[in-house]
Amino acid sequence: MYPELARRNLERAKTRSILAVVGIIIGVMAVASIGIFGNSMQKSVLERFEDIADTIIVNPKQSKGFTEIEEDDIELIRKIENTEYVVPAKDEKEIVSFKDRKTYSTIYGISEDDLEKLYEVYEGGIKLKGSVVVGYSLAEDLDLRVGNRITIAGSEFRIAGILEEEGTSFAVNPDNAVFLSVDDFDKLFDKDYSMVVVKAESLDYIDSIASSIDSIVNKREEKVEVMKLESILETIEDALSTMNNFLIAIAAVSLLVAGVSILNIMLMSTVERTKEIGVMRAIGAYRETILKIFLMEALILGVVGSVAGAVLSIAGGFAIVSMMGLTTKYILDISTALYIAEGFAVGVFTAVASGLYPAWKASKLEPIEALRYE
Amino acid sequence: MEKTKKEGISMIELTDVHKIYKTEFYEVHALNGVTMKIREGEFVAIMGPSGSGKSTLLNMIGCLDKPTTGEVIINGVETSRLSDRQLTELRRDSIGFIFQQYNLIPTLTVLENVELPMIFRGLSERKRRAMELLKLVGIGELRDRKPNEISGGQQQRVAIARALANDPPILLCDEPTGNLDTKSGRDVMKIISRLNEEKSVTVVLVTHDPALSDYTDRVVRIRDGRVE
Repeated sequence: MYPELARRNLERAKTRSILAVVGIIIGVMAVASIGIFGNSMQKSVLERFEDIADTIIVNPKQSKGFTEIEEDDIELIRKIENTEYVVPAKDEKEIVSFKDRKTYSTIYGISEDDLEKLYEVYEGGIKLKGSVVVGYSLAEDLDLRVGNRITIAGSEFRIAGILEEEGTSFAVNPDNAVFLSVDDFDKLFDKDYSMVVVKAESLDYIDSIASSIDSIVNKREEKVEVMKLESILETIEDALSTMNNFLIAIAAVSLLVAGVSILNIMLMSTVERTKEIGVMRAIGAYRETILKIFLMEALILGVVGSVAGAVLSIAGGFAIVSMMGLTTKYILDISTALYIAEGFAVGVFTAVASGLYPAWKASKLEPIEALRYE
Repeated sequence: MEKTKKEGISMIELTDVHKIYKTEFYEVHALNGVTMKIREGEFVAIMGPSGSGKSTLLNMIGCLDKPTTGEVIINGVETSRLSDRQLTELRRDSIGFIFQQYNLIPTLTVLENVELPMIFRGLSERKRRAMELLKLVGIGELRDRKPNEISGGQQQRVAIARALANDPPILLCDEPTGNLDTKSGRDVMKIISRLNEEKSVTVVLVTHDPALSDYTDRVVRIRDGRVE
């Protein structure tokens, strides 16, 4: 009966109730849509890095004076279980020239098989027997084709292949690099291995591999630094979700405004219904009964507005995501439901919280004074 | 009949009741030491000029207002120490109110208005009882109308049915015919009078219409907050 009474009270001031509901709808839509947008953004950014998450990079601990990784240590790393591959590489910065063009680039010494494991070829093939493979950007900058000959530190090399553009990468960025066989590299430079790329069989083994490397290689001295790319991903994820929460908080301001409008209309309502409250108190309604009726009105406004807002937020999220040029494929993802639920919950909470003061005020009316009110 | 009423136990008892309304600038002595007793089944009219304190007196009896000093005993219960919750229960179970303005809840139908005190009390089978009461006051056919769809006389009958919902021993009427035409007023008074006679409900009636005193056993006159 009380919910029914509350519903009829809201119907009595129809326009007012509708406006209050619209406020909640807008607020919930803003919060949930932005949440959906942030979620889509996070997912599509992380997707790009997902395939490198199971990679560990081992570098010499330069702060302790180590600049190279010993071959013995690399052999120890190879023996660790659950690795898909272990790729050691040497690197040096050197000027690369072709005809009259030249550029400063990273030269890697790596085995042919290992290079094949790391990257896809764009043109030509991965052959390092007396020839080299170059990165996409470098090829573009120097206008290189397969078969051209480039000069590195006085020696000439034929280009056997050009790699696919990699874009962002945390391991070895091949775009502006030249890959030589280890033998060729050794002829030009006198350096030992400077990095080892370890790929785990799956994400589950990342931690155990990393700690194995650490305990085996760094047993006596801290010779190498072990970096899990997964932890970089976590950092990115954290940053994105902080930003997302910040955006949601801004959107929540609109809910605050909706809350104030509910507070306002319910205060009006308590004043208008003063006499009625007095009558109810006179014929046997407890203070809590009055409180309950008013809170129920706020709850109805909140639930109706939040349901509508939650449904519409899917459209809102779609609009923002496509406006920002992101993929819309994550909008109907299960993780979206969390943000819709969040919007709904915040909407209902705002409405009920806004109803608290008017409801309390109504329940505190003295029956005799309320009855006398004209 | 007359005899049993006079010898009956007291239903309402006021002892030296004072009520002072204080504002920032002055004090109003609405009641100045009222002492009175109303017995079970009595039909009493409280009469007096405007501002004499008769409405204040009715509010004291109705537990809507507390005396500044003095004692009010309703149906054997001393009211001054009761909590707000206990006073609410006393009003709900022991007192039926009939107001000059009818004071029906506009969003509820006639039947629902009569049900309301029973809802507050948590009774089941309210619909059947509400319907019986509507038939008792002769407006059973209006059950699904809203208050603004029926006449003043009909609204006051709904109010009477509502006042009787929890079968209270006391009925308090504040100018019940004040807003009604002569015929409707007479009908309403007949119903109240019949309730008093047939169900021995104690009735306290505040009015300044001398014609209504015909229905009552006794008239208490109030002037300047005192019983004359």
